[in-house]
Amino acid sequence: MSEYINENPEVLDDTQLPTRKDEDNELLFNTTGSNSYLDRKKMLLRMDNSSQSQVLQNIDLLDKLFALHHHDTPDLTEDDESIESFDDEDFDQIDAQEIYDLIAHISDPEHPLTLGQLAIVNIDDIEVIDNGNRDEISEVIVRITPTITHCSLATLIGLGIRVRLERALPPRFRINIILKKGTHQSENQVNKQLNDKERVAAACENDQLLGVVSTMLGTCK
Amino acid sequence: MQLDSVLTSYIANLGNNDAKAEEISSDIAKSINSKEIKLIAVIMALKDGFTSEEESSRKNSLRCLSDILERLDKELLSPNEVPVIFEFYKSKFEDDALMNDVLGGFDSLISMKNSSIDMSKDILGLISEKYSNDKYLAAIRYKTFKILEDIYTKFGEKYTNNIELTKLYINCFLHIASGEKDPRNLIISFRLNKIITTSFNNIDEFKEDLFDVLFCYFPISFTPPKNDPYNISSEELKFSLRSSIAATPLFAEDAFGNLIDKLTATSPNVKCDTLQTLSACIDNFGGKLCLQEWLPIWNALKFELMHNSEGGDVGVVLPNQINEDIRSSDNPYILALSVIKSLSSALLNFEISAFEKFYKHIFEELKPNFSNNKDLKQSCTILAAIASTSQEAFNPVIKSVLPLFLTNTSEVSKLKLILMNLSFFFDSYISVYGSSNLKTIEEKVAENSLEPYRDELLMILSKALTGSSDAEVTLRTLAVIQFTKLVKMKGYLTSEEVSLIVQYLTETILTDGNKNIYYASLEGLKVISEFYENIVFEVSLKRMLTLLPDNPSDTITIGSDKLVSKEIICKVILDYTNSRHILVKESICYITDKICNISTKEGTKDYSFLLISTLYSLYENNTTIITEDDADFIKAHTQDSVFKSILQNKSIYEDDLNFSLLSTICFFMQLKCSRKLHQSDFLKYNTLLIEEYQILEKPSRYMILYSKLLSSLDKKIEFHDSTIYFETTAKLLSSRYDEFTDFEKLGYLEFLMVLSNKWIDESFINDFIRWDNSEIPNLEINIWITKGLIMKNSKIAPEYLRRFIELLSDKKIGSFVAKLFEIFVVDIDSFKTYKNVSWSNNIKVLYKQKFFNDVFHVLLGEFKKQSDISLKSNYLTALSLILKHISNTLVEPFLRELIPLILEALDMPNSEVKISALETLIHSSEKNGVLITEYFNSILPLTLKLLNKHSSNIAKVRLLALELLQILAATVPLNYSIAVKDEVLRSLVPILDDPKRIVRRQCVNARQKFYELGQPTVQH
Repeated sequence: MSEYINENPEVLDDTQLPTRKDEDNELLFNTTGSNSYLDRKKMLLRMDNSSQSQVLQNIDLLDKLFALHHHDTPDLTEDDESIESFDDEDFDQIDAQEIYDLIAHISDPEHPLTLGQLAIVNIDDIEVIDNGNRDEISEVIVRITPTITHCSLATLIGLGIRVRLERALPPRFRINIILKKGTHQSENQVNKQLNDKERVAAACENDQLLGVVSTMLGTCK
Repeated sequence: MQLDSVLTSYIANLGNNDAKAEEISSDIAKSINSKEIKLIAVIMALKDGFTSEEESSRKNSLRCLSDILERLDKELLSPNEVPVIFEFYKSKFEDDALMNDVLGGFDSLISMKNSSIDMSKDILGLISEKYSNDKYLAAIRYKTFKILEDIYTKFGEKYTNNIELTKLYINCFLHIASGEKDPRNLIISFRLNKIITTSFNNIDEFKEDLFDVLFCYFPISFTPPKNDPYNISSEELKFSLRSSIAATPLFAEDAFGNLIDKLTATSPNVKCDTLQTLSACIDNFGGKLCLQEWLPIWNALKFELMHNSEGGDVGVVLPNQINEDIRSSDNPYILALSVIKSLSSALLNFEISAFEKFYKHIFEELKPNFSNNKDLKQSCTILAAIASTSQEAFNPVIKSVLPLFLTNTSEVSKLKLILMNLSFFFDSYISVYGSSNLKTIEEKVAENSLEPYRDELLMILSKALTGSSDAEVTLRTLAVIQFTKLVKMKGYLTSEEVSLIVQYLTETILTDGNKNIYYASLEGLKVISEFYENIVFEVSLKRMLTLLPDNPSDTITIGSDKLVSKEIICKVILDYTNSRHILVKESICYITDKICNISTKEGTKDYSFLLISTLYSLYENNTTIITEDDADFIKAHTQDSVFKSILQNKSIYEDDLNFSLLSTICFFMQLKCSRKLHQSDFLKYNTLLIEEYQILEKPSRYMILYSKLLSSLDKKIEFHDSTIYFETTAKLLSSRYDEFTDFEKLGYLEFLMVLSNKWIDESFINDFIRWDNSEIPNLEINIWITKGLIMKNSKIAPEYLRRFIELLSDKKIGSFVAKLFEIFVVDIDSFKTYKNVSWSNNIKVLYKQKFFNDVFHVLLGEFKKQSDISLKSNYLTALSLILKHISNTLVEPFLRELIPLILEALDMPNSEVKISALETLIHSSEKNGVLITEYFNSILPLTLKLLNKHSSNIAKVRLLALELLQILAATVPLNYSIAVKDEVLRSLVPILDDPKRIVRRQCVNARQKFYELGQPTVQH
């Protein structure tokens, strides 16, 4: 068994976990101002990864002053009932990285380390089937890799991931959590247990178990 | 003095008011000292007391006499008197009740000038034979130690050289010291022990007893009681015991053996104490004794170092820490290393062969670890600790150890090990030969055996850095760190080699995407530039700057095929100059040249913007450290070409951002220049912009440059035409308003603000300003003029403000004016206070606070009075926009009055107002949970409503609303939050599908907080 994939895992540092490369848009959230100069702002963020930079604030200021002196801005007392949707905003697709970010920081029930650091969850083992249409059923499949083939806590880890995803994903998602092939002695049994609605529901009613899960989720960010 | 009555009063006060009694006794002593009364008279007066049947009466009388004796001049009593009184005390020795005062009397007498050695012999004899320390309290026992100490002070020479006296003294000491437990007594006991072992001769036969009476306390621990009158600390006791144990080589045999035994203790405190004591012993006992004892010490330490529970994690233990104050360390591992270092240093000082024998043994024992790859870190730290002792130790260690692991390999794991092991020996080098600094970079160091390895080391490191794949982050980071360390090693590298390293680091920082490597390289470059500024400038900075292409579409490659983005070069330059004043001036000049050069070409707007914003940050980050000389230098070199670029190059003057940023750069450039030249500079700017470019005749964007330049000028310069300029500008704006672009308009309005702030008389403004004209141009002009006045706390500003507040109730323009309120408090870069610059603009430190105090209650009052909903919202908008720019601490006192308004603001269909309201709420929830709890039931539904689909609920509003929910869950008491838990969780479900990822993430976090409410958590 010495060739086992995740035996004695090299514990990864938090900074080594896969992250989203392009976070410009998110940083721009902390700046005010409209979308003008967006390309310029992105350029600045590539240079200085912070929304606090003076140049950026200066651009925002200019933007705002223009707007202030531009007096055909919409009237403030616009009709309150005009319900609109956010459809004009770009839609950030839910992808594997997003799922990974949700579950990678769950603590392992045994170690003071996270599932991501122990490589129990890996970004390549997450599959998202979602066409972006909010009226259709979508699906997430997470394949977990326990650290040892007889890991008795695989079900608990699976439960933690499930609780986390059920709390964090829109209801249109069906969540599938299975063990990665060949990583556990009683793979089928565990898989069955992980995706059995009745059992999951029963587990969530057990206060002590829920307490353990809460502690595991406590490190999520 | 009525002696009888005074004595009676003394005895009456004794035990009731000791301070008073003491005062009386010292009065009596004074009278005796001044010969007003005689001691004999006192004794006669007390005579009845001395012989009284009653114990208390005897005690009080003797106390009185002892107290007086203690305070007498040491020379007062004659050679005849002293023995008489001494005999008297002697006769009282067997009276147990009087022991305290008898000992006190002895002590006073022995310190007198006319005491005799025979007296001291008598006392020592009495104490040895007739005094038993288990019968008396600590304070009485203390006196016996005190007597011994005073005897030593007085007759020390005789006692140390005479065998009989020595015997008598030591026996007496051992008699009183054994079984002592009081901390104050122990400290004096340890001190006496040290006196005996260090200054008495012929103590061989007592050495074991003296050692035992010390070591039985080791390791000593003590928790001082509250209100301890003697202020004895545990550290003091420990230290005093340690220094007594280490005081004499006579103890060596016993000390080493016993200390080694104690090393097996499990308590880390005991272990540390033992190791520290061991170090002290080795340092004091000398090499000769260590030669006999090093083997058992090494064996014990080896166990400690190799099998220490923390042994696996010693990468951070660097031998050069040993030089620093390790006595205070509480890490057994470091302390054990320091013992090894002490040992090798002691042996080296004794004779070189002793050291060689010691080292050979250790080396042979550790050698197999290198071939077995076992306990390598520990072995290397031990060897490096020995090497760091001195040059004599360093050279043989390096010679023998390096060949064991320094091999040519491409295997990543092996390279990693080599680099980690090397690190320890580099530190040894630094602690032996010193580290590089500005003064010593030319100095050579004495012979060192690391020298022959230089080429090989450089090769291995460069292979690790450049030859391994980018994924090997740890290895590459290690290589960068070791390169930096090599440069730090004094006199080790030639300047060509330093150049090579700088080149490696530069290439790495530009091409490697990993954060750790980026910061390691950045730190390396910063460290190196501290003493090789020139090399870093030539090899790194200049190279980076020349890499910036002249043509915006050109790509940059270094090495064979590594692409570098322009942004990363700018980022490195900024990070590099930031926080340390290195090469700022050079970078500024070079980048300015570059901008002027490239902006002449077509299609360079974006590229110019990149460089201009870099330049802007360079100025902005370094305003405080740019000196007047720097500023003059920069201005002389760059101002003309910058002006030319702004005025002529399309990439700049056609681009609003480039134009505005570069104009502000001109502000920074002028700001710190020599003030003598400001007047002539002013004239120069007038000639150029007013006359040549005629900016007062027709709308022109060059006005922006002009107003920035005027902001930076000394407000004391002569400006005769200021009022004419002021009127012309206002007239131009209002008469040809529609011809202005927004950008140009801003320049002219800002110019009016600068004038009203710096040069125009308030009465002139009062005559000029018109309130009857509510056309938009006039409103804008008035608002900017008022801004200039507010900033200098002008006395006419409140009146102007009142007028603007009145306008808020105007149905036609009220909503427009409300938005203009933001202008009053907005910060413009050229109109801020900069450190050490007081001459530019009139900006009062607390002007915002004053402004807020002035308008807050008026706005609030008007808001309450107003019944028209649409007009009500104007006050709300104005207030919210102001709040955005006021620091939260200024707002805090107004919170209670403010919250009802904020709640209404949450319901306004304007995203800016909502954002401002949410930000204030978030801040107040963090600071003032009680207040927020009161309003919790109103805040919650309003906040949830902000998540609905509505055009003013832009992503930022939703994000802040969710943040507020998360904070509320943490601040509001459980009985409030649990009640709404299910409702909140349910309402947030749709937001889990929000289009924006960042909003979804915040929603998940907020929900998580609500899920956790009232739930038990299991502690590991």
